Amino acid sequence: MSRLLFAFLLLLIICSAAAETWPAPDWSERPIGRNEAVTALETYAFPPRDEVERKGVRTDALLIIHDGEVVYERYGGVTRADTSHLTWSISKSILASVLGVALGEGRFKLEDPVSRFYPPFSAHPDIKLQDLLHWASGLDWQEDYEYAPLNSSVVAMLYTRGRGDMARFTAEHGVASAPGTSYRYSSGDSTVLAAALKGMVGERSYADYPWTALFDPLGITSATWERDAIGTFVGSSYAYMTARDLARIGLLMARGGRWQDRQLLPKAWVDFNLTPFKSLTPTPIDEAPGGHWWLNKTADGKPGPWPDAPPDTFAALGHWGQALYVIPSAGLVIVRYADDRDGSYDHNQLLKLALNAVAGEGGK
Amino acid sequence: MIARKAFILRRPFSSFGIVVVLIVAGLIWNWRVQLQVFPSIISAYTAKEYCSCRFVMNNPAEYCRSYVKQWLPSTINEDALNKRVTATGLGRESTAQWEGPRQGCRLSSPVP
Repeated sequence: MSRLLFAFLLLLIICSAAAETWPAPDWSERPIGRNEAVTALETYAFPPRDEVERKGVRTDALLIIHDGEVVYERYGGVTRADTSHLTWSISKSILASVLGVALGEGRFKLEDPVSRFYPPFSAHPDIKLQDLLHWASGLDWQEDYEYAPLNSSVVAMLYTRGRGDMARFTAEHGVASAPGTSYRYSSGDSTVLAAALKGMVGERSYADYPWTALFDPLGITSATWERDAIGTFVGSSYAYMTARDLARIGLLMARGGRWQDRQLLPKAWVDFNLTPFKSLTPTPIDEAPGGHWWLNKTADGKPGPWPDAPPDTFAALGHWGQALYVIPSAGLVIVRYADDRDGSYDHNQLLKLALNAVAGEGGK
Repeated sequence: MIARKAFILRRPFSSFGIVVVLIVAGLIWNWRVQLQVFPSIISAYTAKEYCSCRFVMNNPAEYCRSYVKQWLPSTINEDALNKRVTATGLGRESTAQWEGPRQGCRLSSPVP
């Protein structure tokens, strides 16, 4: 009897595993039919594109994956399905996934001091890798792009004083608060993580590591990752890939770091990514940082920044409206590439309309 | 002390002018590094992002010109054969070079 039960359970497991769809090698498609909810989504995401003043919502790509299949896909402007689009700060969360593989290989621990892998940080011996992952190094960093170019650490890092050696430029910053206590969004923290990766995997493996560790296992073929003058990946800003390839990283995260039958990212790593950081200083109301991903819940139990999306929603976000949203409870991965030059685009609105569009298909 | 007070009283406008000049000089000194490299931002941004727009994202030249357009004027010179981009702005020049499908574009030396 118990043997029969066991056989039955085994069959059930096999069936549920077989029911899981993966993009191997390519995404399968199950387009949602036209309905009012889809029209509402398109009206919001693809209004007439202002190419002169560059105002308003200017979506380059919108790709929705439901239960491992492409259910909606549209491109705008000159972007196409095969365009390796700039991800800006989505790069930070991609870097986190690369680091997750390195953690699984036993190359570092979250509590390790950064200086163990990146010697210029001997000036800051108390900063740990987990502090960088929380954007809480405490370094006195100014993260402004267009509005304060003279004072901006990130503009100097990417284009002037910092570009020779971006991690060293970050290390030379002064201290604003004790390590690990206060959230202060910093592209410098992410760049130092990219430099620490070199110390973890060695100079020889480093140049190909994002590919061997993450991109190749996931079947990502379109990736470019630009480097600074000494060869450190610009971990904060300069990863490029197609919308369909970025969605693979979303699906990996939606399924707890597992890719088919391989646990590529340790479960504990994904839990760390998705745990809200408790900052002693107030966090801006529209930002709920986790471990190099953005969450829809906060450390003090308050609602997250996207009220119309489930609390388990999380995202990788970048300048000019780039976004990779993951909603595990809804089986959804959404990639949005854009060229929004003003602040009119709203994450919550897009999430609400996308959830409606997919739910509409369920016979609502 | 009395003499200085007298000077301020005798020359209030000159005194104010001297204070303003001292403050401005102090600010320039304080921001000297940032001010020195500031003019290269426009050409460096334009060269690097145009290079990536053209050779990493493979977008049309006309689109990439509008994509990198800033509020300050700049020029772009594209060497499509060698995948090299030179840009000027604010009297400075920067060059970015495409280095491969995985490596993308990078600003060339010297670093300001």
